[in-house]
Amino acid sequence: MVRRRNRGEAKVDVNLTPLLDIVLQLITFFMMLVHFGTKIEGASAGIRLPVAPAALPGSELALDRMVVTIDARGALVVGEEAVQGRMADAWWAEQAQRRRDGLETLGGPGAELPTLVIIRADKDASYGAVRKALVSAQERGFAHFTLVVLRSLR
Amino acid sequence: MDRTPRRKQGIPEDVPFPVTPMLDMAFQLLAFFILTFQAPTRETRIDLYLPTTPIALPGSSPGQAKPRPNLPAETVLETDLMVRAEANDRGVLKALTLNGADVPDAEALGLRLRRYASVLDGKPLRVYLVADDRLRYEEAARLIGACSSAGVAAIRLADAGDRRSPQQGRP
Repeated sequence: MVRRRNRGEAKVDVNLTPLLDIVLQLITFFMMLVHFGTKIEGASAGIRLPVAPAALPGSELALDRMVVTIDARGALVVGEEAVQGRMADAWWAEQAQRRRDGLETLGGPGAELPTLVIIRADKDASYGAVRKALVSAQERGFAHFTLVVLRSLR
Repeated sequence: MDRTPRRKQGIPEDVPFPVTPMLDMAFQLLAFFILTFQAPTRETRIDLYLPTTPIALPGSSPGQAKPRPNLPAETVLETDLMVRAEANDRGVLKALTLNGADVPDAEALGLRLRRYASVLDGKPLRVYLVADDRLRYEEAARLIGACSSAGVAAIRLADAGDRRSPQQGRP
């Protein structure tokens, strides 16, 4: 007959040093990757951005920004609708008027609106459609634009 | 009589070091950096400044019998370059020229523009981009991007059928 000795409660010592070491490694990893810079806003769902070489942007994104999406057919995407022609012109006029009204309280806008227009255009859109959008915007007083492209992998 | 207790000579006791609060703070920091983590993106941008100058406005409204003003191009032979891009019906770049000389692709265009810029000795280099409206935006963005990365001071965008420069801008 075997008698089992009552060994009692065994004290378990958890060695926390390796755990702490791994956690600090992870913290260091994420610290190296943290980037508090300005992200280019706007979603590109349904839009395939072109791949193009680009110089480093010279300035941070301005506070007053407006994102404009142009789909593969060259139509301006407003909300969930795609507008072209006169409706697109009317949209640009409305956006410009809103900003001018807002700037009235600050002493009035100059000839140019300070708004930065961020253009996300599909790579298959025609150059003519994008150029016409730029012309429409320019006629309404927008002068600052930025084209969002994808950096080449090489 | 000296009643001060004598200290025992011997091995010092283990000093307990509580690691738990330190681990707790480490987890807090880790959570902060995980929540503020932004995945790297390939998105970048090409800045354009298109001033609203009179030359930038289009011609007279349709229906009004006003002849289009034939605005003389303000070109300076030394620092202004003309880039022409022709496209086929599918929007693919068919021909690319820089001041009349053939250029194989956007990368070669960028290299040539860089050489021009280095020769100009600090003078601003301006480029007229005359492109077919049928050209795919990706091809046009590559050309504009090549100009931008070559250090071009100003780009004028125009379509192939318009002799004037409806837009003038700098990257």
